[in-house]
Amino acid sequence: MNNIINVNELTHDYGHGRGVFEVSFNVGDGETLGFLGPNGAGKSTTMRHLMGFSKPQSGKVEINGLNCTKEHNKIMQSVGYLPGEVSLPEGLNGYQFIKMMQDMKKSKNDDRVRYLLDKFELDPSGSVKRMSIGEKRKLAVVTAFMNDPDILLLDEPTSGLDPIMQETFIDFIKEEKQRGKSILLSSHIFSEVEALCDRIAIIKDGRLISSVDAAQIKHGLHNIMTVEFDDPKDFADFGRSELDFKLRDRSTLKCAVVVDDEDINKFISVIRKFKIKAFSEHSVTLEEYFMHFYKNDRSFGGVSYA
Amino acid sequence: MLSIPLLKQSMKSNAVMWGSMTGVMTLLCVQFSMLDMTRSLLFTIFYGMMTTILPGIYVLVTSNKLLASQVDRGSMAYVLSTPVKRSSVTFTQSFFLVNSLVLMFAIQTGAHLLVNHSKPVSMATLGYTMLSGDLTSKMILQVNLSALMVCIALAGVCFMFSGVFSSSKYTIGLSGAFVGVSILANMLAMFGNLGVNGLDKFKYLTVCSFYDYRSVLFANNDWIEKMIYPAVIAVVAFGLGQIVFKKKDLPL
Repeated sequence: MNNIINVNELTHDYGHGRGVFEVSFNVGDGETLGFLGPNGAGKSTTMRHLMGFSKPQSGKVEINGLNCTKEHNKIMQSVGYLPGEVSLPEGLNGYQFIKMMQDMKKSKNDDRVRYLLDKFELDPSGSVKRMSIGEKRKLAVVTAFMNDPDILLLDEPTSGLDPIMQETFIDFIKEEKQRGKSILLSSHIFSEVEALCDRIAIIKDGRLISSVDAAQIKHGLHNIMTVEFDDPKDFADFGRSELDFKLRDRSTLKCAVVVDDEDINKFISVIRKFKIKAFSEHSVTLEEYFMHFYKNDRSFGGVSYA
Repeated sequence: MLSIPLLKQSMKSNAVMWGSMTGVMTLLCVQFSMLDMTRSLLFTIFYGMMTTILPGIYVLVTSNKLLASQVDRGSMAYVLSTPVKRSSVTFTQSFFLVNSLVLMFAIQTGAHLLVNHSKPVSMATLGYTMLSGDLTSKMILQVNLSALMVCIALAGVCFMFSGVFSSSKYTIGLSGAFVGVSILANMLAMFGNLGVNGLDKFKYLTVCSFYDYRSVLFANNDWIEKMIYPAVIAVVAFGLGQIVFKKKDLPL
């Protein structure tokens, strides 16, 4: 697969531990890469380097094989960028802004603009200043997609949109994905990432700490079974079986066991020998998988994922 | 190099400031050159102060809006998410700044030429009793050319700050200090010229000293030579602003 976006050992130290350090990843042709990480982890900083706003202190950042700093203007012919913060130019109304961006991108496609305006239910006739955050965001979405770019850099694209619009947006990106667009999507919203991304890269404190196949996570990495007993003897016997215990609480007679999908039958054959008071099961979702990166400890569910 | 859509946007977002400064300057010029009460002060007050103060305020505010404020607010991200080079952005913005000044002076000069044509003023009325004859159209053009050059130098320095800093507060602060000191020192130096002892030393503190309307009135060519310095300042400052803006990291 051809690499469209190529980030290689990108380092930019802003001091005080902020910045990005030796970040490497790539986005293939037609691929969608989810970029996850807590606030201040370096997601937007990486985007900024891809957009050519900042120059890497060391390392290489390329789109379509072109250097993002030096050949920024060539790259932008095929990139649609949605900034994390919307702050539109002064003194324009929505239409004027769209018109200006059309002129600057040298692409006039009014049908596409109308399609996007309809899709996101936006009336751009008012002054940009008086628009709500959501409306401004929609306007930014329309201008980012109106020249139908092949590469999409989306920095927390749905922040500020209402839940219905978030859904509309996700559907829209799904369409774009099917049309073969290469997408880098930074986000906090798990449903969004789960629905859209082929691969997920996780960044924390400026370092890429994990890169996983989304399909792998979607099928559930692990299940956590919580079993509660009436009889302390059962509890003690169960505790001696060869299972991966996450928790054994003598006072409530509760156990939690981590079970991989392939070990389900083994687990059931053990558990059927006991008299059980209560039983519950839940799978590790992407959200939980991600949440443990927010926190400092590396172990989660008794298993280290990192 | 010039980005027409960006130029249009700059024109739109700076139209009010430009319009009001041009309006005030033109009106003042017409008033000073038409009314008998104020005619004698045409050079002392209008050409001595207003032709640097009003454009000075304009370039101070506008140069900040052209680059630094857009970086500060983040709206520069939209401009730079299009296939436009940074150098093209700075070129367009400095093109706008310089030409808006040229147009400002052109309108004011045009108005003065019209008034002066219908109601000529003698040099004696203007306070130059040693000179004979009337104020000519040629003199008006030359005085304004000299003033324009100094204003372009002011614009260059403000634009440089706007290109160097990514935050409005530094751009406005330093440009404000520069323009403020230039104008104030110019006024103090003018009092020195009018006979207040010692104040004439202030002329060494301001770029406005290169604007020399007396030399025009006395028909010597000092003012032409003096235009070289502000021209050099403008070229260097605009150049520095462009280079730094092209190279620096933008916090967008």
